[in-house]
Amino acid sequence: MVFSKLIDDLILETTSLSLPWFSAELCLSGTIVLMLLLRLLSVDRWVPAYLIGVLGAFAALFCSWQQFAELSQAPPASTEPLVTFTGLLVQDQFSVYFRAFLALFLLLTIALTALTGIPDHEDGPDFYSLLFGATIGMMIMASANNLLMLFIGVEMASVPSYAMVGFLKGRKASSEAALKYVVYGAGAAGVMIYGISLLAGVLGTGDMSLLSERLSLAAAGGSGGLADPEVRTAALAVMLIMVGLAFKLSLVPFHFWCPDAFEGASAEVAGFLSVASKAGAFALLVRLCLALSGGVGTEGLMLAFGIALGVVACVTATFGNLAAYNQSNLKRLLAYSTIAHAGYMLMAVSAMLVMQNSGRAADFAPEIDMSIEGLLYYLAVYLFMNLGAFAVVALARNYTFSEELDSFKGLIGQAPVLCIAMMICVFSLVGLPPFGGFFAKFMIFAAALKAGQAHWFMYVVVAFGGLNTVLSLFYYIRILKTMFLDPRPEGARKVSLPLFSLEGSYVLALSLFVLMLGILPSITTGLSNTARTAAQSIVQK
Amino acid sequence: MAAELHSYLMVGAVLFVCGVICMATKRNGIGVLMGVELVLNGANVNFVAFSRYTKLGLDGQIFSLFIIVLAAAEAAVALAIALNFYNNHLTIDVDRANKLKG
Repeated sequence: MVFSKLIDDLILETTSLSLPWFSAELCLSGTIVLMLLLRLLSVDRWVPAYLIGVLGAFAALFCSWQQFAELSQAPPASTEPLVTFTGLLVQDQFSVYFRAFLALFLLLTIALTALTGIPDHEDGPDFYSLLFGATIGMMIMASANNLLMLFIGVEMASVPSYAMVGFLKGRKASSEAALKYVVYGAGAAGVMIYGISLLAGVLGTGDMSLLSERLSLAAAGGSGGLADPEVRTAALAVMLIMVGLAFKLSLVPFHFWCPDAFEGASAEVAGFLSVASKAGAFALLVRLCLALSGGVGTEGLMLAFGIALGVVACVTATFGNLAAYNQSNLKRLLAYSTIAHAGYMLMAVSAMLVMQNSGRAADFAPEIDMSIEGLLYYLAVYLFMNLGAFAVVALARNYTFSEELDSFKGLIGQAPVLCIAMMICVFSLVGLPPFGGFFAKFMIFAAALKAGQAHWFMYVVVAFGGLNTVLSLFYYIRILKTMFLDPRPEGARKVSLPLFSLEGSYVLALSLFVLMLGILPSITTGLSNTARTAAQSIVQK
Repeated sequence: MAAELHSYLMVGAVLFVCGVICMATKRNGIGVLMGVELVLNGANVNFVAFSRYTKLGLDGQIFSLFIIVLAAAEAAVALAIALNFYNNHLTIDVDRANKLKG
């Protein structure tokens, strides 16, 4: 009898609570099935796969929009977070923000692939199934509330990405990139799950909302510091988990795959990986850090963890910027630029951890919110500016059949629209005012500066951030110099992309968003308010 | 009880270390993937042992079931990619994957 009641409760919880909150993911899953079934019925001869994809992504965007409105309107009935699927996923504004972000990004990526035609008509359903599957994985990463979901989300995002990198069949570079990506990725995932096994075993739970409590219990039992075997095991386990996350974020020293995978993959896939997989991994990292911090007696350890993240952030940003200097392939250059940007964004997480565990978390409450808000704002701007840069590469490639920097020489004479869009994206990537990238960087550096009051090391992090912004200027300007000032070489393939074409308006729209996120106060404040609500929803008071 | 748990964890740790060494030293792509499987199974042994001896309970067994499934999915994709690499390069020596660098 008890068992049947258990089943009834489970069915009731799933159908009445969990599935409505899962609607965005369900839309995407349904679209995958639909695309594959329609090919079975040969409907795909008349209806291109990207149309179905756009519809599915739009439905997912709409669902998550509704969820965000619902969460914002409902009065905070209880302080308990809303969990679904018996505690496996957590639904707050933070996870819904990421869900909407990913759905919007998916929509824009599908539009780009439809314009450049990189999966040809035949391969469309396969390619979009992989793309949608990876996006679902990233959505799960953003709402994971259990170490099991953490692992499943990372794997669901990774496995389709491996296949997408190798999607250009018959190209040596593409197959090599996919092999490197899969070998590094599988290794990192294996190390991460071993770390999860240790953490779950030592703390006796996989539920992320209980981690800090259990960690402080473990610390209270023994001497508290690293001398205690349980605490030492937990610290080791977190380090192993960080290997997996650092791989997804392409942080130094786990960045080797990133330039190779981006160079071998098509520019569309590289653009998708550079933004979406980073966004998912950052959501997961923030969740994990917050789940681990806040316990009594573990502040010292978590402070050290935050500072360690700060060191990694400095090294990553510096390495990415230095290595980008002598790159001749534009996609490879942009890959190093994404590594550097991961470094900047990691500074926000590090600042948050340091302030949260400084022992004066209440004093720093607005700044803790601001660090997460800065991260979310950065990701939103990064979506447009990085996708814009990769879109320019992809569109020019369709005419020149090359992604070398030299093939972009003097493009201003033939395709001014691409050059203007690239200029806006690049200035925003550098972080020059009045573009969106400036405000995003400003928020993160301001939060890190405030965190300097909690620990002096954060001042060093801010100094590195400022230094790197200057360093990055040189290679970004080199792209613009090539496009605007160098003469077009004799015999170079002609790029005929008029202003009033679909492609031209697509890149212009992306760069317009980058510009608007910088100068239009209504949009900037709207986004930063949304980001702040999302940030406040996950930080414990 | 703790002694029994420790011996199981030791087996898991040995599997993990063997897997990592295998990943680091093998030049054959398939060999590297075998190393990954060893690491995953090391984690599986840990989970099952923890579920028997600690308050992790049945969760541990669910973890290992999911790991088995995901390992199979990952192996399927990885082998397809290795085959694609072989078709293009006529070798699966990962050291020959040296065209992309800079």
